[in-house]
Amino acid sequence: MKAMLLIAMNFVREQRWPIFVLLMWVLLLAFLGLVADVVREREDLLFIFKQVAVYVVAFSVFFGGSAIYNERKSRRILAVLSKSVARPQYLSGLVLGVTIACGIYCFALGLTGSWTLGGAGFPIAQVWVLMLALITACMLAGTVALMFSTFLNPFLGAGATAAVLGLPALASVLLSWRWAYTIPVYALLMTVMRVSFQHPGSAAWWAMGLAVAETLLFWIIATKIFSRVDIAVAVE
Amino acid sequence: MAEVLAFENVTKEYRSFIGRRRLRAVDGFSLRVEAGEIFGFLGPNGAGKTTAIHLAMGFMQPTSGTGRMLGKPFGHSHTRRRVGFLAENVALYHRRADRLVRFYGALNGMGGSHLQQRAREVLQAVGLEEQAGGNVGKFSRGMVQRIGLAQALVNDPELLILDEPTSALDPLARVIVRELLLKAREQGKTIFLSSHLLSEVELVCDRVAVLHRGKLVRLGTLSELLRSRGESEVVARGIPARDFPGATARDGVVSFTVPQNEQRSAMEKVWNLGGEIVSVNPVRQSLEEMFLQLTADQDSSGSTP
Repeated sequence: MKAMLLIAMNFVREQRWPIFVLLMWVLLLAFLGLVADVVREREDLLFIFKQVAVYVVAFSVFFGGSAIYNERKSRRILAVLSKSVARPQYLSGLVLGVTIACGIYCFALGLTGSWTLGGAGFPIAQVWVLMLALITACMLAGTVALMFSTFLNPFLGAGATAAVLGLPALASVLLSWRWAYTIPVYALLMTVMRVSFQHPGSAAWWAMGLAVAETLLFWIIATKIFSRVDIAVAVE
Repeated sequence: MAEVLAFENVTKEYRSFIGRRRLRAVDGFSLRVEAGEIFGFLGPNGAGKTTAIHLAMGFMQPTSGTGRMLGKPFGHSHTRRRVGFLAENVALYHRRADRLVRFYGALNGMGGSHLQQRAREVLQAVGLEEQAGGNVGKFSRGMVQRIGLAQALVNDPELLILDEPTSALDPLARVIVRELLLKAREQGKTIFLSSHLLSEVELVCDRVAVLHRGKLVRLGTLSELLRSRGESEVVARGIPARDFPGATARDGVVSFTVPQNEQRSAMEKVWNLGGEIVSVNPVRQSLEEMFLQLTADQDSSGSTP
């Protein structure tokens, strides 16, 4: 547990600049909240809030997909895994790190959203439910990306992740909405995208629970693959 | 003596992505390292030394064969708590040196005031106590190497595996590392040392193994391996150098080598010329000579159809 936390916090520390850049988007929303008439322009503010919220899922794929690659390429992974750290622990630390990194963003967005949208009449409690939905979506998306990055380079890994996350979304549009729940990242994103002042949305607890369960599943698959990977061999 | 590290017929093949091309980095390699010794692991570039070390650390799986480290199979994560490892071209996170050493110690389950105290001790041992607050990202390569050694030592390991530990160090830092290794041996620790610097190996190692093209080609104590060449070196003063073929003179001291069966007559000649014998020692092959000869022999036998 301690090793997992150390690896997670170290990951967040190593990603502090991308996280800082991400937080600039939140700052943009906060700035608009300062200069805009939040009641009259509330629909615009909600639109920007939703846009800014969606970016974090893309960043979770970036975080998850590059974590192992960067560590192997820099060979810093050798010093970490030369300690009493099992590979499943290492992957757990990275999943937790990706979740914390996205959680920082969601927390900042939640605070800003509570201030700007709350002032315009949006239920503040629902803002935080939406942030929770986003965090679970990020956790799952990041873990899928991490799983592919155990044996693919970041480009191919990102492509494979996009396919795994995107195919259920496509099927939900073409066939039935139920397909969105096979890998519920799209379903959770749509929970955020469909909210309005008239319909602030529901909790989507079921999708969140499913996302947590699938995160565990993809983590297990990732540990099985990663246990057979030669980590000292350069990634091609 | 207890066995600390053992390779049993270990082979490691690297395959290309589609599996057509294969490179055998380690080929049927067997070796036992006993407790309390400093073991030198030698070989030219590409011999498979680093691969063998990575197999022992569990960074990769052998294609065939098995191995044990401190009685457990390679890759056993709990066993690594008792091991210190320094990689070749060590890469570390860019943060304060003392915090970095504590981070690696904490990964090994250490904590509290013991870890703080231990981090201070190892930074002092590698001569970087004054740079403890500096960012490792701004350190020179030699300083990073020493921080790498500090993180390997922080858990007070029973077995220390060092891959080229002195390659980036200046002579003073090398002396510090050498003293550290000798002190560790005095404390009963086992050191597995891979190095290109044969003079370093010769100074500290009890036994050495030479690896070439993935195969173990020589194993033994230094005295076994560095056998006598059948010659003696005679050092004398008060004689002209020209009277002895191949003799060199420096600061009034003349030295020359003679076959051991002519040693006595050479000494008598010195005395007859009114000279004084300073020393007579058997000439031993140096580790470098042995290494070069061995790898050349292997290359020529390997190229023979």
